[in-house]
Amino acid sequence: MNLGQLRKIAAEVVAREDVKYLIGWKQGSYGYRIAPGFVEDAAGAAELIFSPLCTANLATYLTLVEKLPVPRGQEADKRKVALMVKGCDSRAVTQLLVEKGIHRDEVVVIGCPCPGMVDPALLTEKYPETEETVEVKWSGDGFLLNRSGEEIKVPRDELLAEKCRLCRYPNPVISDILLGEAVEPWELAEDNGVAEVEGKDVGGRWDYWEEQFAKCVRCYSCRNVCPLCYCQDCILDRLNPTWVNRAVNFSENTSFHIARAFHLAGRCIGCGECERVCPVNIPLGRLNRKLAREVRDKYGFEPGVDPEAEPFQASFKPDDPGDFIL
Amino acid sequence: MTEKPKVGVYVCHCGINISATVDVDAVAEYAQKLPNVVVARTYSYMCSDPGQSLIKNDIRELGLNRVVVASCSPRMHEPTFRKAIREAGINPYFLEMTNIREQCSWVHEDKEEGTAKAKKLVKASVAKARLLEALESKEVDAEPAALIIGAGIAGIQAALDIADAGFKVYLVEKTPSVGGRMAQLDKTFPTLDCSACILTPKMVDCASHPNIELMSYSEVEKVDGFIGNFDVKVRKKARYVDFGKCTGCGDCAAECRVKDRIPSEFDQGMGKRSAIYLPFPQAVPAKYTIDPESCLFLTRGKCGKNPKCQEVCRAEAINFDQEDEIVEFKVGAIIVATGFDPFDASRKPEYGYADYPNVITGMEMERLVSASGPTGGKVKVFNSEEEIEPKEIAFINCVGSRDKSVGNEYCSRVCCMYTAKQAHLIRDKIPDANIRVYYIDVRAFGKGYEEFYDRVRRENIRYIRGNPSEIFKRGNKLVVKVEDTLTATPLEDEVDLVVLGVGLEPRADMRQVMDLLRLSQSPDRFFLEAHPKLRPVDTATEGIFLAGCCQGPKDIPDTVAQAKAAASSAMIPLARGKVMIGAQVATVNEATCRGCGFCVNICPYTAIELVTVNRFGNEVEVARVNEALCKGCGSCSAACLSDSIQPKSFRDRQILPQIAALGAMK
Repeated sequence: MNLGQLRKIAAEVVAREDVKYLIGWKQGSYGYRIAPGFVEDAAGAAELIFSPLCTANLATYLTLVEKLPVPRGQEADKRKVALMVKGCDSRAVTQLLVEKGIHRDEVVVIGCPCPGMVDPALLTEKYPETEETVEVKWSGDGFLLNRSGEEIKVPRDELLAEKCRLCRYPNPVISDILLGEAVEPWELAEDNGVAEVEGKDVGGRWDYWEEQFAKCVRCYSCRNVCPLCYCQDCILDRLNPTWVNRAVNFSENTSFHIARAFHLAGRCIGCGECERVCPVNIPLGRLNRKLAREVRDKYGFEPGVDPEAEPFQASFKPDDPGDFIL
Repeated sequence: MTEKPKVGVYVCHCGINISATVDVDAVAEYAQKLPNVVVARTYSYMCSDPGQSLIKNDIRELGLNRVVVASCSPRMHEPTFRKAIREAGINPYFLEMTNIREQCSWVHEDKEEGTAKAKKLVKASVAKARLLEALESKEVDAEPAALIIGAGIAGIQAALDIADAGFKVYLVEKTPSVGGRMAQLDKTFPTLDCSACILTPKMVDCASHPNIELMSYSEVEKVDGFIGNFDVKVRKKARYVDFGKCTGCGDCAAECRVKDRIPSEFDQGMGKRSAIYLPFPQAVPAKYTIDPESCLFLTRGKCGKNPKCQEVCRAEAINFDQEDEIVEFKVGAIIVATGFDPFDASRKPEYGYADYPNVITGMEMERLVSASGPTGGKVKVFNSEEEIEPKEIAFINCVGSRDKSVGNEYCSRVCCMYTAKQAHLIRDKIPDANIRVYYIDVRAFGKGYEEFYDRVRRENIRYIRGNPSEIFKRGNKLVVKVEDTLTATPLEDEVDLVVLGVGLEPRADMRQVMDLLRLSQSPDRFFLEAHPKLRPVDTATEGIFLAGCCQGPKDIPDTVAQAKAAASSAMIPLARGKVMIGAQVATVNEATCRGCGFCVNICPYTAIELVTVNRFGNEVEVARVNEALCKGCGSCSAACLSDSIQPKSFRDRQILPQIAALGAMK
């Protein structure tokens, strides 16, 4: 993608009277770091980038932003928020539209067709984090790293993020402005992660998740980063009734994760942010993808594709399968 | 509620229904020691007058403010006890019922375990009762009108009764004429009065009644609202004939280019009609209808130079530009009288109904013996091109009834008798015919039925006990293969005509009506009544009633009785002019509601909508419950991710202590 075009369009968008600000990606403070940029003017727009490091799903800021009380005598700012999205991010926006988390006229969607992101963990494993800013670009069918002037070409398969290997929507499903050309969807990889867990017997699965959940420190990063976890008052935080106790132990951790996963069943769009931000590397993607597949196979529903869809968790058909009900 | 809870616990013996399996005294003794319990008593029938007085006296004398009744299902007596405690001066919703009958004594055998479980259930109820809140029910106006869906004998009778009582009735019928299945019948058992003679006057009455608005060839599209206030949308299908202009002369049908080529539904396909047609001569309204599926002009856009019907109609009533019309109105009650479908005999391939023209169904026989039928009442069959009067005739009962292999375990209740009647009619018409009836059991249970069956048997009609296994062809004859189970003799019976006594099945379009009115089915797939004995014409949805065969197979007397019952039940809200709406409705915590609308989507009663509210200067959407529509089912609560919507009396903070009490037990 042409960065010049991106910045020019971003500057035009933020100059619009009906736009409050634009959320995009900009260079972070060191190494591979990318930061969200909240751009209000042309100067800010000039800092925007789009690279294989822009893994973060910025759609979460649409609902994360707090609606502050409006001082007496003033009007609420009803201008739109412009948002840069990859394919997966656009699905989050679509799902938010389905759930009325945002309204279509509140947002300007700037679509960025995405050739696939690098997995930050795989990247740092091979090429450790440095203080100096590292530039990463798409190049042919691989990635090009520029570390202190040294150019390193890495094959795509070596660094491609898991969520991208399984991605069927590299192009935004919804956008007002599309930057650059659409990319050709690629052949899907097998979901080995889910298959590995599915291959175990009940006891094996329990042991597996026990080991994973036991690691959880209940920092709630997975929930906080999720674009679709946006209740004002999350029931997992509530004290009366206390659905999940504030104790970090296997039992409470498991309750937390089961509730989180089920609240996202038929809503999770697979952006993989929960797993990326987890400080203890719990494979939350496996849980989410398993549920997503059940929903797709059993009910023929895929979230975040059609903004006019009926929300899955709130729809019922008389012929819905019920064979799993004990 | 700052008042300290003072709970009274009342454990019912229910005769020996409960006390045989549950030591009720032990339960009361246990309850007495539970926190906040002031008094615990037992009584043989708590729902009886002395039982209720016991509770009322305690409320007055001991100052109880919460009552737990451990007895039967709340479906049975919750209203009874609510009324009782209200009479004693406390809020009727300060009652918690513990079901220790259906959910305890009736399903357990061991008294010790039954008693332990009853104690647990009572403990849980006491835990919840302490947290109950006072609720007020409201009253709203009821529309003095009724909707009746289906204009067979059930719908017609109900319509006439309600209209005669002075209320407006909208009678909606899917087909072009009222009359339903009964209009197709020839004579009716056991009195042999002619079906048309007793039905047609009622058909005419319901068309001319000033209080009845008859909508034939129409379908109900949508029903919203609740008892007293249903909003109904009806689609009046295009007849392509101007209803006001058509005189019913029939010139159009006589000239129609596809005359005598379209199988007549009324004659079970044995007679033929035109594309423009009156279903039968006595049809009401006597207005012609163009069948859009068979009319040349409507299917191909061309019918000769000009459609013949248009040319010959002196009233200029034919209008091919006519479109469906949507009519909307409001009613206070609805009666569902959608009837049945006869069992499709081709689902029993061993009887060869689809293969042999001389295997016919009982419904076809009705048309064949009818003087107004396709043969003018002559019973005849074709024996390889040659038309003959059948001399050897076999009837087979229980075709598609009492038969698990086709999924119908039930008895259709009319086949034994209509078979007997048809046998009798044939005996009349063909005195020298050999008639036999193959039966499993003969059920002649109604008034005059046994007598009629006895009379038929003495008319030289042989009843052979056996369920035929197969019908096949041998030469010109049909062979019924059967074992006479009374003599254990295998038979191969050669006959000219086989009449299959097909049973009654739920209508194929049942699901449409269920979705429209949110009705349920019983295991036999007919509509489910609210209670099989005490509320046989009610449904689980207040204000919606059932009449006739849509609720289960019935003969005409039962259908008419049920129609009259449904009519009188439907008239209660209409006559009162007011209906009470429940107080146990869902309520929204607007501070935590995120306005996603899941509850709006999931609500089966369309009781919730999103409204925009001002939250500190910001406009946000939140859910709001229309209390008149809400039934307190709790679906919304299950769908809500942020736990922001809950039914009153079933809030988390009320239910969780109840669950906790069930868990912990000493």
